[in-house]
Amino acid sequence: MKEILEGIHLNKIFRDGDSLVVAANDVSFTLHEGEFLGIVGESGCGKSTLLRLVSGLIKPDSGELTHDGEAYTGMSPAKTGRFLQMIFQDAYASFDPHMRMHRSILEAAPKNVSEEELVQLLDDLHLEAKLLEKRPGELSGGQCQRMSIARAILSGADILLCDEITSALDVVTEAQIVSLLQGIRQKREFSMMFVSHNIALVSQLCDRMIVMHDGQIVEAGTTKELLENPKQEYTKKLIASSRMQSL
Amino acid sequence: MTKRKQLLIRIIICATVAGLIVLATMFASFLAPNDPYATSAAAIRQTPSAQYPFGTDNLGRCIFSRVLYGGRTTIGATFLLVAISFVVGTLIGMLCGYFGGIADRLLMRIADVALAFPQMVIAIAVAGILGGGIFGAMLALGITMWISFARLARSHTYSMKNQSYISAAILAGKSNWYIITRHIFPNLLAPLLTNGLTQIGVTMVGISGLSFLGIGVTPPTAEWGAMINEARAYIQLSPWAVFFPGLAIAVTIIVFNELGDLVMDYREM
Repeated sequence: MKEILEGIHLNKIFRDGDSLVVAANDVSFTLHEGEFLGIVGESGCGKSTLLRLVSGLIKPDSGELTHDGEAYTGMSPAKTGRFLQMIFQDAYASFDPHMRMHRSILEAAPKNVSEEELVQLLDDLHLEAKLLEKRPGELSGGQCQRMSIARAILSGADILLCDEITSALDVVTEAQIVSLLQGIRQKREFSMMFVSHNIALVSQLCDRMIVMHDGQIVEAGTTKELLENPKQEYTKKLIASSRMQSL
Repeated sequence: MTKRKQLLIRIIICATVAGLIVLATMFASFLAPNDPYATSAAAIRQTPSAQYPFGTDNLGRCIFSRVLYGGRTTIGATFLLVAISFVVGTLIGMLCGYFGGIADRLLMRIADVALAFPQMVIAIAVAGILGGGIFGAMLALGITMWISFARLARSHTYSMKNQSYISAAILAGKSNWYIITRHIFPNLLAPLLTNGLTQIGVTMVGISGLSFLGIGVTPPTAEWGAMINEARAYIQLSPWAVFFPGLAIAVTIIVFNELGDLVMDYREM
């Protein structure tokens, strides 16, 4: 499979008062065309920072990012948005509270997108077209998150960056979102980086997984490999805690 | 009846009274029974009557007519000043909050220094230097008035720019100007308008106060503060000449302050 996105030796340090927080420490990864790549780890391990680095919303201190073999490190997010889009953890906060969904969703879409395409996409996501006239506060959490998936897909971006997109949802809605993403994958071509602290959820959806701890990648491999034969203690702990939660 | 509904009714009452005050001053030329600038030796310091509802002053001028016309000056200058401060302060605040950097730090330090002194003290100093007049008074008050709008706009913009919907708009390729005008400003409007309503009372006190001190509106222009200043010399002979302009100031300020507070409470519910 063709490599569509690559991060090479990415580093990012934040200043928190007098102390320094290493959010990304020599992080390297590849995302292949059509692949779903999961990034797992506990809160504060640098998963979301990695997505923000990839999106261009924050710049790495060092390292390189490439898309289709071309470097885009330091490129403004207004330009990276042409090939990648982000879906955020808090679906409500990802839409302007004063704007109707129709306008919000079309903001990221190319000018030639037709109403039929939009309605078809909403249908794929099990959303009614009449919801487009509503504001985010008038939708349920699940509807709002599906709207943000619609916005990202409609933009025409070939990479979706999902940042804990189900963590604010109940388990039923979470399962619906995962199932919808799997369904959408059959109909539309896109790659995805899926960040979650929930290794069980990631394993349902992703082809490969990266395990992060303290800003570093501690283990990477196919989902099957990692679940069946984890090499690092930290990965084993994550898997064990996930099993405990599911009991 | 819910508390929210009660609050809404109070807002409507306050807004109606405020609207009536503004309309009365706007249509002063139709409502005033006498020429506010016409002096009459035969009507000096007359008590309130059918011909002169609020009595007359030391020059025989109709106080009711002068209160109506004076409202035009006071309320007109207040609205204009608040509107200019709103636009200037909001624009500065949004740009500082959104872009940050040296300009932000510099402007906010200037604002901190300006706020370290009571607004009226700065206004008196500036109006004194400018030598009086309504525009001098407005400029003197405007020097510090934009700050409250700028600080409010800056703090809201600063927290808003880290919201996911702003990141989404950036990734959608929208320009900074688009984001500021279409996403940030509409979300700032409610708190800024509330602040604008509360600033009306403060500004009115400022304009009337400067006129009262003789460094605002210059006689014979009808203005509430200036009318009190003129009439205080003979307050014992004709207290109505001080009472009615004072009442007009008090009622207008109370109504607009109450309206601002109620709208703020309503928004926070």
